[in-house]
Amino acid sequence: MYRYDEFDERFVRERVAQFRGQVERRLDGSLSEDEFKPLRLKNGLYLQLHAYMLRIAVPYGTLNSRQLRMLAHIAETYDKGYGHFTTRQNLQFNWPKLKDVPDILGLLADVEMHCIQTSGNCIRNVTSDQFAGVAKDEVEDPRPTAELIRQWSSLHPEFVWLPRKFKIAVTGAEHDRAAIKVHDIGLKLKRNDQGEVGYEVIVGGGLGRTPMIGKVVREFLPKDELLAYLEAVMRVYNSEGRRDNKFKARVKILVHETGEEEFRARVEEEYAKLDGPTINAPEEEVERIAAYFAAPTYEDLPETSQVLEQARAIDPELDRFVAQNSFEHKQPGYIALTIALKEIGAVPGDMSADQMRAFADIAEKYSFDEFRVTHSQNLVLPHVRKDDLPAVHAALKAAGLASANAGLITDIIACPGLDYCALATAKSIPIAQAIAKTFADQERQKAIGELPIKISGCINACGHHHVGAIGILGLEKGGRENYQITVGGDATEHASLGERLGPGIDAEDVPAAIEAIVETYLAEKTGEESFIETVRRTGAEPFKAGFAAFIESRTAQHEAAE
Amino acid sequence: MAKDHRAGSKVRGDKLPAILMASHLLEGDTVFLGDSGWTMDPTAAKIAHDAETAAVMEAEGKAAAAANTVIDPYLVPVDLTDHGLPVARHFRDAMRQKGPSIHPDMGKQAEFTPLD
Amino acid sequence: MTLITEAGAVEDRFTRADTIEAALAVEGPVLIPLAIADEFATARPDTEFGVSLPGSAPIEDVKPHLAKASLVAVEFPAFADGRGFSLVKKIVREGFSGTLRASGPLIADEFADALACGFTEVELPETMANRQPVQQWMAAKDTMSEHYQSGYGRGPSILQKRLAARKGA
Repeated sequence: MYRYDEFDERFVRERVAQFRGQVERRLDGSLSEDEFKPLRLKNGLYLQLHAYMLRIAVPYGTLNSRQLRMLAHIAETYDKGYGHFTTRQNLQFNWPKLKDVPDILGLLADVEMHCIQTSGNCIRNVTSDQFAGVAKDEVEDPRPTAELIRQWSSLHPEFVWLPRKFKIAVTGAEHDRAAIKVHDIGLKLKRNDQGEVGYEVIVGGGLGRTPMIGKVVREFLPKDELLAYLEAVMRVYNSEGRRDNKFKARVKILVHETGEEEFRARVEEEYAKLDGPTINAPEEEVERIAAYFAAPTYEDLPETSQVLEQARAIDPELDRFVAQNSFEHKQPGYIALTIALKEIGAVPGDMSADQMRAFADIAEKYSFDEFRVTHSQNLVLPHVRKDDLPAVHAALKAAGLASANAGLITDIIACPGLDYCALATAKSIPIAQAIAKTFADQERQKAIGELPIKISGCINACGHHHVGAIGILGLEKGGRENYQITVGGDATEHASLGERLGPGIDAEDVPAAIEAIVETYLAEKTGEESFIETVRRTGAEPFKAGFAAFIESRTAQHEAAE
Repeated sequence: MAKDHRAGSKVRGDKLPAILMASHLLEGDTVFLGDSGWTMDPTAAKIAHDAETAAVMEAEGKAAAAANTVIDPYLVPVDLTDHGLPVARHFRDAMRQKGPSIHPDMGKQAEFTPLD
Repeated sequence: MTLITEAGAVEDRFTRADTIEAALAVEGPVLIPLAIADEFATARPDTEFGVSLPGSAPIEDVKPHLAKASLVAVEFPAFADGRGFSLVKKIVREGFSGTLRASGPLIADEFADALACGFTEVELPETMANRQPVQQWMAAKDTMSEHYQSGYGRGPSILQKRLAARKGA
């Protein structure tokens, strides 16, 4: 993985000193709260319901054991002993004190980490495919691109006061695990007819209040022209994006209101005026970065591991874990392993300091000292020898990290919601916990199959509910929490937005409503169809009918009870 | 952009009695205006039963914000328990008085006498 | 108003005038809205003037005046409105070599960004300058000694420095 050189090192150190100074100037009144707020947000610091919250950047979701151990240390020293992995592949602490944050940033800098631009109206932490460098369907590893963008976007003088936040995602694979169509900019590495590598550039996707699927503004951008082209897109957005209404300020609205053709024309007009070679990264620099992402030194192994096969045959738990949580590796004899931070009843994405230390040991010993954070609030050990899987499983199990439900109905994404978040209109995590408990039975989960449920506690959609096969949105209605349910959302290359099934329902009715939706699926499915495949084929109608029947029976029950 | 979100929750009906809630600038904790300054303890919040007292408390909040002690002070309509303790009428404010529902071991609920 | 350059606080040579009548009555360099620039330049062809325009102005509206004006003042309605940063880049790209002023309630923390994008001075309302005196601006501009972006700021970017170091090695 990427390692800081002297420039990167100095940059984050100076950034820490800068923030320390900003805190001092806030306390002495030089900076008002209105001025300080965007400055602290650009260092990942929010003020939430109970306390400050610090969001730490995990660039393209890649971490090593030393970094995780430091996060464990920070969790215990300055927080309440745990951290929370987010849908942006980042990590959040929920209880830091403002007075401690400069010191925390200093500790992060010690392990080549920072909180730069994890919030605020600027280019945010770049996200990518959690199986980068692993997946068989990869044209090229997306991480060098993501790292280049991380550097280029860090404290960009022109683009730190944008109309609104700006999120960039990169994928190098055919199957899109980075949700590039629902980002402000999505980049897909591809080859043109001549076999040259470049990018398909998608602009104007996003979730939130006005969900939209991004538009392709460039079919093929030569790889070495990336930064200049990004500068053109950003300049058009910074100049013309709406600033009169926060809810219409994202680039998706500009693309929508301007029209796809006209927007593309404006970007190309700006791009034509740029002197590319003076902006783009030198080829040597691109190569320097790429070298850090060279494949680790794998052993020559047979595709099948006898050790693993024998262990699976006698240990059903291991067998289930491997069947559910492993992802095919391009290197024979290895797999990538998803660690679902989704124990039944736990808080999605939460990890205790003890678990962090245990997991750091596992990653160090069994996965070339590297792991990934996924946008599903899970972790990935990217390069595990199949021979080692029984030992890895045992170690994970001892740490409470061997939940065999990756991708299943209990592997739920949930934003922090009203339990922590100042913007939330309803709770989110307790809904996830209740659904997971309802479907706790492993055989039942297996029978239902792949079913990503995504829950947001407000319209801002941090829980990505629009692209959940089942999406749940918590709102406030008449002084109560109320939940709207959608089906058919998809964040992959088949990107689509979920369709609402009917009126919102009370929190306590959500698990039963999900059961009703699942029943509809099981009745409608043909062959081996997954939930989303069935919805794609049937449309939302049968699910609406099932949901309406559920509401009717629930109303009848309520009336009978009165 | 910093103006578009204010901490107050929408509550229907009477705005009194009320307490004054804010966040402590340096600590980040939710704090309440008490009889003598700001307190972390939700049971020690001063209760305004009339509009005049509420106005005085609100002014005190604004002054504390201007003095860089607290952020986002606002009046919170409450109901009184049998023991006369203030419980916020809006579920969001009630969450701030207690702490996260998913972690009874964290926040006010873990540190202070419960309100109800 | 307080005027701050990279070297510190300086006197403002320009007098602001919002109408053509007021502008014609000014002795010495005058700073006028873009809308009356043509009229003024025709009436006083030999008088030094600057034009003032909002950060939202299209570059096409600004271009015709760049040859005659010696100063362009881009007005920031709020410190968090970054349109002026993109506009100044476009003005510099047109070859303008006069004074580039960012005017409005900017904060010291964005001084470095303003300079890196091409501004040469910042004009602050007194209330801002009182809260964030010149010393804070001087300190803020130097807190970050390096930048990653080629084409911004004075010195070479980190990417360029790495390349130079490798070639030198």
